[in-house]
Amino acid sequence: MSPRLILRLAWRDWRSGELGLLLVALVVAITSVTAVALLVDRLQRALLSESADFLAADRYIGGSQPIPEAFRVAATARGIDHVDTLSFPSMVFADGERSQLVSIKAVGEGYPLRGRLIAADEPFAPGRPADGVPAEGEVWLDARLFPALGVALGDEIEVGVARFRIGRVLVSEPDRGGSMFDLGPRLLMRVEDVARTEVVQPGSRIAYRLLLRGPDATLEALRAELDPEPTWRWRGIRESSPSIGAALDRAERFLLLGGLLGVLLAGVAVALSAHRYASRHYDHVAILKTLGATPGSILRGFLMLLSLVGAVSVVLGLLAGTGAHLAMVAVLSTIVPVELPMPSLRPFLLGAVTGFICAVAFAVPPLLHLYRISPMRVIRRDLGAAPASQVLSYAAAAAGSLGLLVWYTGSLALTLWTLAGSFVVLGVFGLLALLLLRGGRLAGMQAGSGWRLALAGLQRRRRENVAQILIFGLAIMLLLILVLLRTALLDQWRGQLPADAPNHFVMNVVPEQVEPLSALLAAETTWRGEIFPMIRGRIVAANGIDARDWERDRAVSAEDDDGPRMRSERNLTWAATMPAANEIVRGAWWAPDDTRALVSLEADYAANLALDVGDRLRFDIAGQEVEAEIANIRRLDWESMQPNFFIIFSPGVLEDYPATYLTSFHLAPERKRFLNELLSAFPTVTVIEVDALIRQIQSIVARVTQAIELVLGLVLAAGCLVLVASIQASRDGRLQEHALLRTLGGSRRLIAGALAAEFAILGLFAGIVAVVGAELSAAVLTRQVFSLGVALHPWLWLWGPLAGALLVLVVGLAGTRRLVDTPPMLILRGL
Amino acid sequence: MSEVVIRSVQAIRAKGLEKVVPTSEGQLAILAGIDLEINAGESVAIVGASGSGKTTLLGILAGLDLPTGGSVALAGQELTTLDEEARARIRAEQVGFVFQSFQLLGSLTALENVMLPGELRGDRGAEQDARGYLEKVGLGARTGHYPRQLSGGEQQRVAIARAFASRPNVLFADEPTGNLDTATGQRIIDLLFALNAETRTTLILVTHDDRVAARCQRVIEIEAGRLRV
Repeated sequence: MSPRLILRLAWRDWRSGELGLLLVALVVAITSVTAVALLVDRLQRALLSESADFLAADRYIGGSQPIPEAFRVAATARGIDHVDTLSFPSMVFADGERSQLVSIKAVGEGYPLRGRLIAADEPFAPGRPADGVPAEGEVWLDARLFPALGVALGDEIEVGVARFRIGRVLVSEPDRGGSMFDLGPRLLMRVEDVARTEVVQPGSRIAYRLLLRGPDATLEALRAELDPEPTWRWRGIRESSPSIGAALDRAERFLLLGGLLGVLLAGVAVALSAHRYASRHYDHVAILKTLGATPGSILRGFLMLLSLVGAVSVVLGLLAGTGAHLAMVAVLSTIVPVELPMPSLRPFLLGAVTGFICAVAFAVPPLLHLYRISPMRVIRRDLGAAPASQVLSYAAAAAGSLGLLVWYTGSLALTLWTLAGSFVVLGVFGLLALLLLRGGRLAGMQAGSGWRLALAGLQRRRRENVAQILIFGLAIMLLLILVLLRTALLDQWRGQLPADAPNHFVMNVVPEQVEPLSALLAAETTWRGEIFPMIRGRIVAANGIDARDWERDRAVSAEDDDGPRMRSERNLTWAATMPAANEIVRGAWWAPDDTRALVSLEADYAANLALDVGDRLRFDIAGQEVEAEIANIRRLDWESMQPNFFIIFSPGVLEDYPATYLTSFHLAPERKRFLNELLSAFPTVTVIEVDALIRQIQSIVARVTQAIELVLGLVLAAGCLVLVASIQASRDGRLQEHALLRTLGGSRRLIAGALAAEFAILGLFAGIVAVVGAELSAAVLTRQVFSLGVALHPWLWLWGPLAGALLVLVVGLAGTRRLVDTPPMLILRGL
Repeated sequence: MSEVVIRSVQAIRAKGLEKVVPTSEGQLAILAGIDLEINAGESVAIVGASGSGKTTLLGILAGLDLPTGGSVALAGQELTTLDEEARARIRAEQVGFVFQSFQLLGSLTALENVMLPGELRGDRGAEQDARGYLEKVGLGARTGHYPRQLSGGEQQRVAIARAFASRPNVLFADEPTGNLDTATGQRIIDLLFALNAETRTTLILVTHDDRVAARCQRVIEIEAGRLRV
């Protein structure tokens, strides 16, 4: 067939509305994928740049060795902004002979590259964003250092051998969150002044960082060029702040899952409409074949037609997707101010390729049936398509979905779980649907009331109806899964940080202070009454093997910010009972009367060091060696904001060593001034404020929640499209039957009633199938992919089937209303 | 030279045609041992009771279906050794069809339906030709009408116009009057034979109307899948 003829046939098909549904299905597929992908892409970028505030940069290169000048030169050459920071502990002295251990951070001009430095002009006052960094010769102090050192703004203090003027009160800097337990009160100064203090000597414990800011691709190119590992470490937000990384990961997975379900739904809609298009062309093709059209030319013709439809859909879909996305952003910005970065090209590519794959995997197989249509069909109508091609069409659809989903999510596990859920549901619930339909058989076959007519009709077209229940069920199930996961995710995030979660930590509490401090905290703050002894110590040997050798030979990852991990000094504690929010993974917690020296390790820590229950560890604590056997391995919730310990001893081992104590409490923002009172009463303790960090996490969670709800809305739209396509696909058979009934004298009301009843019953059954499937899949997904707890949802069992019935009823009647009003003769002649 | 003569003389030659289909009660022979020769320009009626196999025979002679045994040649080409692709090409060059149920494409107008064979051949003058044929069947004024807007007789006239627009050497007609009343059927048959005489086409016509059969030069009767001699 010549291209001109194909265009003419396409135009005639379009004019008669035959191509319309296929085009619409493809356009909606591309539209929803493009819109979701655009939203995900831009929100991800926004979230990442927002979370970059926690690093004060997009990436940093860090380590215990000075950053080579070559790194700065290379970064400058690539147009990457950079600034140095140095952190180290040191003593500072005030004139009144008071001294205090502080955590010094020295920064260069331009710090921070992301986020804001907040400073105030009075201790414990709320701060404002600062315009710059301390001038040379000036330091900014944490509010709690003012009472501790007995100084005021404008006074001078000594760091090493140099004197500095106190310029401002430091409220917060963006990258403080990192490893909170190593922080003393902060002193901020200029990196140019560090040499003058002479406190930095060879062997000093200093964390050097080169903060970097630039486009992702440029940064990755720099990383490849410098290859800073293993002497220095290259870090982004995910590695350096696990709690935010985890929230981001889950949100990203959810958004991707939403997009993935949108693709699946759109694919089903494309397959349905292509199938309808093809089956309406069986006669068409048979006639063309008798007129001498060869199978090859027919195949080429329809593939060209599909390519044409595909190309038009891609253009329309990308435009509509962009439009839908802009509309969503506009709606979103009326609720909260949104600033989204420019999208990458990926969403558009994703939309176009999705359209192409949908067309090939879902629409080509039904069209391939046409290739095999026998021209004898013009004489003998009963000759359909060869049965083998149906296997092909399912296989192509499955392969297409799999390929699309894996490419889309980049996660084989997520894809396989979703697909496995869908297929199990299809298999098992095909049977369930059949049984449900059988149940309707007893209601009688006599046309008289709409309900009986509907049940009889459902029974007669049992195979089609089972398929339709499954399609409706699948669509509703995918939507329910999304709703359930959204609820689980949000509950988990809200539950993770309750309103009264501890937002301040108190460290360096000496034994004599435990009692008065506890009394003060109990009276003035929300305090849980837990106070932990803390002793510094380090591991020197495991199972008699020197820690250095053990680490070199077996440890999975040997380094972190504090230098060598196994041999570095750790905070040790002891406890008779297991602290809350801990969970034993292996081994058992010690019995109260057990007098052996036992120790409990955190799971990741133990795994990294290749340690397990039964291994014996030797510790160096204050110059003395202590040996203990590993009794159990614990998992703990790092995001709980509770004091957590890698290593916990059984009672009776550490009591004789000098300990300081650690506790945490919640303080409402308006009661911040209590810190002044606390520090005046206990000047030697260290208070660490994490309320700013918590607020930042909460704002990210809120942003992610909005994104999730938007995506949910989009996928709902795609689900409705499947319902429409499915009803359209089955329209002909249903309408012919009802037109026939009308010619036999059935009233319009009877027919409309029967249609309504049929759709309601189909929807009800589909709802039942969907609820069962959604509960199972959501249980598997929450456990396997999102690592959340599993729960049943009784409300779903009532509302799922009812909503299904209502949804299919409304969409079904809307799709067939016009035809109920059409004179039956037109329907019978037109089909 | 002799082969060309044979081609021009013999439109169709079938030898030992068999068609066996599997059914739930074993193999069913629809056609058995059919030998048949039809000369170019001849008009032949195939008659027989319902289920006698006459439509199946027509389908095989026209290259729409394959026999399970024997051979069949159309315009000198052995059909059983060709694939569907090649058979379709022969249909495009040699064959026209008129069916009992008209088989017009519902989404195309009368003119567009008649243009189809020309368009499939890639003729530039397809539209001009189609208008001419529609004039000949008396539907020159209804070129823009869709099949559902035409009566049965009119639809069959469009189908005849389309069949002759194929410029066939052999025209197959399967019960062309089967869906029409007697008077309309009579006019359709008149039209068919008039055009046939004008174009000197070989005509093979399946019918169970004796009066229609009587107008053909030769009548072949088929009974339970065998020719009655």
